[in-house]
Amino acid sequence: MSSTEQGTSSAAPAEPTTAPESAAAPEVPESFYYVHGKDKVVHKVSAGALQHSALIHGMISNLGYTEEQAKANPFPFENIDGDILQMVVDWCNQHKGKPTPPEDTNLPKQKEKLFDLVLAVNYLEIKELLTYCCKQVAMMVKGKSPEEIREIWMIPTDAEDEAAEKEAKKRAGKEAAGETAAAAGDAK
Amino acid sequence: MKLSTSPYLVQKEILDNMKTSNLLLLSFVSRNMKKLIKSSQIERFKNISHIMYKNRRFGPKVTVPGKYSLDTIMEFTESRKKTKNNYFQLNVSGKVIDFRLFKNCNYPEASFHPSDKESVIETIHNYFLDFFGDTVEYQWETYYDEKFIPNLPNLTLSISVGRVYFEITELEDLESFFASSPIFNHVESVRLMLYSNTVPIFLRHFQGRQAFLRCNECAILDLIEFINRWKSGEEYQMLEHLIIILLSNGIPQNQILNANVVKLIDATKTPPTHTLPKVLKSAYSLSTDPITSHSYVVRETDNRVASVSVQGKSFCFGVWKETEEEFLRMVT
Repeated sequence: MSSTEQGTSSAAPAEPTTAPESAAAPEVPESFYYVHGKDKVVHKVSAGALQHSALIHGMISNLGYTEEQAKANPFPFENIDGDILQMVVDWCNQHKGKPTPPEDTNLPKQKEKLFDLVLAVNYLEIKELLTYCCKQVAMMVKGKSPEEIREIWMIPTDAEDEAAEKEAKKRAGKEAAGETAAAAGDAK
Repeated sequence: MKLSTSPYLVQKEILDNMKTSNLLLLSFVSRNMKKLIKSSQIERFKNISHIMYKNRRFGPKVTVPGKYSLDTIMEFTESRKKTKNNYFQLNVSGKVIDFRLFKNCNYPEASFHPSDKESVIETIHNYFLDFFGDTVEYQWETYYDEKFIPNLPNLTLSISVGRVYFEITELEDLESFFASSPIFNHVESVRLMLYSNTVPIFLRHFQGRQAFLRCNECAILDLIEFINRWKSGEEYQMLEHLIIILLSNGIPQNQILNANVVKLIDATKTPPTHTLPKVLKSAYSLSTDPITSHSYVVRETDNRVASVSVQGKSFCFGVWKETEEEFLRMVT
């Protein structure tokens, strides 16, 4: 579990704490990067742990940052809540360089937290963690009636879908009319 | 999280991890949800080899082959009760049907008044056709004492006689069933356990494609008579595959060979192996047992061949679509 401090901003991050690494010390000094979420708390994570995230791995693979540069330029993930990013960082650290087990039982039990984690993990492109989370989300509706499933996953009724579709069409029509009027104005 | 507005990858990953029975329940939540399941699970549904209705006294149980076992997706049950606690109603293609879920079961049970049985089963079957696709094979497996067979599209009928603790002792019953049952006339596949010498009765009436019989008694003359009737081309035109396992003694191979009813392939050569997709598929067996035999017979009317194998306690008969000339070309 990594500990963190409250950061001030992405441009001037607070001194981060280092996440504990796996027991075996790497032979070559490992490079570290810094990430923060909505709460600006900066997490120091090794490149090895970040390999789980296809998004971050793609971002850092050609950067060649020095330790100082990395510290000064943490990756901001403003769309991810701080506690959710913490969970992701913890998971990446725990599974750094290890084969992922067939199941993960340490996922949040609260529905909202799990859903937020799913969206974050999907955004960060962490395939294995996404599969674990989605398995758990799928389990939520086991043995539930359609009405209960609707409540759990907030699925609109047919009438609500139809109303939303109508509204979207209306909006698109207005936008198209606006564009046509603007184009006509430009032509004049 | 709103499932319907989540990224597609997330939606698909969640749906991929759901059991078929849960997907079915989810499909009733909204039309858009049903559309999403159908479009994201095309590959999964394409891999469903068959959907089986296993008929029981009060209604069928519907299963699909899962990864390791059969996955029950729905049960149907007759109920005359007017007040139904713990039930919820679903509008299935315009018909309101009562359902309930049991605590430890992962699938819904559709409940109906006996007078509404056919209509409820038909409505749900049509829902399956739309949901899983009409390329999936649907099988109705019943017992000979169950007279109810619905008239549904895309349905293959099969019959199973002889449950573990079920014994046919009333020969007349079976004879009259085979002779008069409108069900039996449409049955394509049969799996039977015959406790008394009813093989000839069965063979006299069977008009389907595949049969698997286990019996306590079977006279060699009945088998010879069967072969001769097949050869004449007057009967068993639909037959593709027949296996008779004699539970008591072995079947004397020599008596069949000596009766001059079969032709023989040169013993130094290798005959082709006969196997077919099973009409009545099980979770793990999609094809008929292979028959590789040097003995064969030829049908007089169209020159088609059937491999005949008599080994130990089993008599196997596999009909080829090839003529004798084509069949012999496959011998190596």
